[in-house]
Amino acid sequence: MKKVVALILSSAMILGLASCGAPKSSSDSTVNQADGSADVTTAVNTSGGSEEVVKIRVAWWGSQTRHDATVKVIEMYEEQNPNVDIEYEFYDFEGYLTKLNTLVASNTVWDVFQLGGNFPTYMNKIVTVDEYIADGTIDVSNASESFLKTTNWNGQQIALASGVNTWGITYDPAIFAAAEAAEPTENWTWEDYKKACLIIHEKLGIYGSSKMDDFVSGATMGVAQEGFGVNFFALSNDKLGFDDPGMLVDYFQMRKDLVDAGAYPDPGAIAEIKDIEGDYLVKGEAAMTFVGSNQMPTMAAAAGRELKLATIPRKKADGPSGATIQSSQMFCISKDSKAPDEAAKFINYFLNDEEANRILNGERGVPIMSNIREMLLVDADEVKRNMYEYVDLVGSFKIGDVNLIDAKGKTEIEDQYKLYMDQVIYEEKTPTEAAQAIYDFAANKFQ
Amino acid sequence: MNKSKSTKRSMRSIINNDITVGYLFAAPFIIGFLGFTIIPMLTSVYYSLTDYNLVIKEQWVGFSNYFRLFSDERFLKSVRVTLIYVFTSVPLKLAFALIVAYLLTRKSNMVSFYRTIYYLPSLIGGSIAVAIVWKELFATKGLINSIIVQLGGTKVSWFGDQKFAMIPLIIMSVWQFGSSMIIFAAGLKEIPATYYEAAKIDGAGKLQSFIKITLPCLSPIILYNLVMQTISAFMAFTQAFVITKGGPNDATNFYALYVYNQAFKYYDMGYASAMSWVMLMVMSVITFIIFKTSNFWVFEEAGS
Repeated sequence: MKKVVALILSSAMILGLASCGAPKSSSDSTVNQADGSADVTTAVNTSGGSEEVVKIRVAWWGSQTRHDATVKVIEMYEEQNPNVDIEYEFYDFEGYLTKLNTLVASNTVWDVFQLGGNFPTYMNKIVTVDEYIADGTIDVSNASESFLKTTNWNGQQIALASGVNTWGITYDPAIFAAAEAAEPTENWTWEDYKKACLIIHEKLGIYGSSKMDDFVSGATMGVAQEGFGVNFFALSNDKLGFDDPGMLVDYFQMRKDLVDAGAYPDPGAIAEIKDIEGDYLVKGEAAMTFVGSNQMPTMAAAAGRELKLATIPRKKADGPSGATIQSSQMFCISKDSKAPDEAAKFINYFLNDEEANRILNGERGVPIMSNIREMLLVDADEVKRNMYEYVDLVGSFKIGDVNLIDAKGKTEIEDQYKLYMDQVIYEEKTPTEAAQAIYDFAANKFQ
Repeated sequence: MNKSKSTKRSMRSIINNDITVGYLFAAPFIIGFLGFTIIPMLTSVYYSLTDYNLVIKEQWVGFSNYFRLFSDERFLKSVRVTLIYVFTSVPLKLAFALIVAYLLTRKSNMVSFYRTIYYLPSLIGGSIAVAIVWKELFATKGLINSIIVQLGGTKVSWFGDQKFAMIPLIIMSVWQFGSSMIIFAAGLKEIPATYYEAAKIDGAGKLQSFIKITLPCLSPIILYNLVMQTISAFMAFTQAFVITKGGPNDATNFYALYVYNQAFKYYDMGYASAMSWVMLMVMSVITFIIFKTSNFWVFEEAGS
């Protein structure tokens, strides 16, 4: 008798396990009964009517400001479209990519998902938006041509930029004045940057500069500053776009000199920076730091004092800036989506709706729709206006063909670059050796 | 009628069979073990021989992932730092656990309270939260540095100097000595008090009886703790991932962290799988060596 009871209990357990594993099949069958289409997951409305509710999943990475604004917009959209139920998830950048990769492997990528310059890796997961633009689901009548181009690849419109930005240096003019250092100009050089760092450290005892994105300023932009059309990664993204490792030496040398002088945080102090709010510039312990232009308002708000935006220094004052405007990120439609049309409608709302954009407030970068841009400029404070002007300024620089798309293996090359930077600082490699080593490592990735 | 009765009977005999019941009870574990351990392990053998990167269909590359390991400087360095970590943190942790367990064998009402207190770090130690606390403690302007300055020393850039970066991680691991301590405490209780009494009568001191009685009697448990802690030290991940991200200059780029980065940061699943298998082999060899040497130092009461 005992055995029978045990048997019943254990089989109940197994059934429980089995039904946990496959909740999907049962809901799919209700769909089939309801209207014969298994394309969308439906749920029967508790209020009596069996209205069809489409579920789409949206995910992004970013800061708290972005999470709050985006969630609010999603709620507004749900209110206006009762037939749409949006599930959202947000992460920091690295957590986002980890999650995305597991979803890619299991073919369950979110219907609407955020990507940046890393999109080629996920190309076979993206539904391009050409069709939705053609049939009017996504309205681009107000989009500027040059901004549309930032997310156009091989003749396909991958998606539409949620905002465009460019790299820059935020600095505190009051600290510069206190140290009697020359403020950055439109075409200042790395030589000027180094001088400013040293003089600020010498006079005030603080860091001249907080964390730079070394791979951007030393490698991708650093190489692009060597000549019009010269790139770290070739435009075809299947080989390196330069052949002289010497182009990388100066930056290694400069960074080492600055760390040695104490004008730049050592690797440990760099690792202590957690987020924008914890940056040494925000805390008043550094005079400059590296930002994406769209982060500038968040940073200014966190610092609570006047901050200005300057261009990334150049190698030669009359040489190329190496800078250009780019899509800071975009919402892509996933191939795994069961309701790509609804995903497209949401993206259209996200880009074109004035109320929604009043809430988003250009936090993802300068909006690509001219009417939205103008609307935001009217209410913009000084910091925001500076940011818009800055993006316009960089957009007006004469540039050659700049490669904005991440080549395969870029993350690994970037980590290796940072490793060599540490080794230069700890004097395990000379700047020349490090330049040669990273060149060889990167070139090797394309063989 | 007769037939259905006989099938009913044979059904009942299957159901009532001990073996059937045994398997049914074991089924949840077996399913989990197959689904989450054996099958993933076997697929990773296959993936380690391909260039699988999560997104694109994999291609067979033979053993090239394994050959690549030997020319990968970062890999070799990660092996080196992991070995240093294992060989310093494990002995320190066990020594610490044993000392505390020994001190807590005296008869006192507070003993179980102290044991609970000392066990706490082991419960929370592996978490992200503790790692973040650790990061703050050892920050340039953290508590540890302000104590050092108060005592008249100079600030140490714990995570900025490659010679020092591993020290906080080792201290953190030693701090989580609780689970080994509990096992030692249980072992200490098993040693008959008569041994100590006899030694006392013969005039042995505290230290002498610790070395001559406690250690040999405890040696099977030391072996167990040594093996378990060595294995878990090889898999150290959280501290390095949260606190140092492997830096500076890869000084804390532990094996498991590097595997993770290759897999989920560089999307080189094939290479990461190969690395995991090498790790399994290295761990097996070291465990094997520990077991082999145990013949010389583990004291088996039953055998003697």
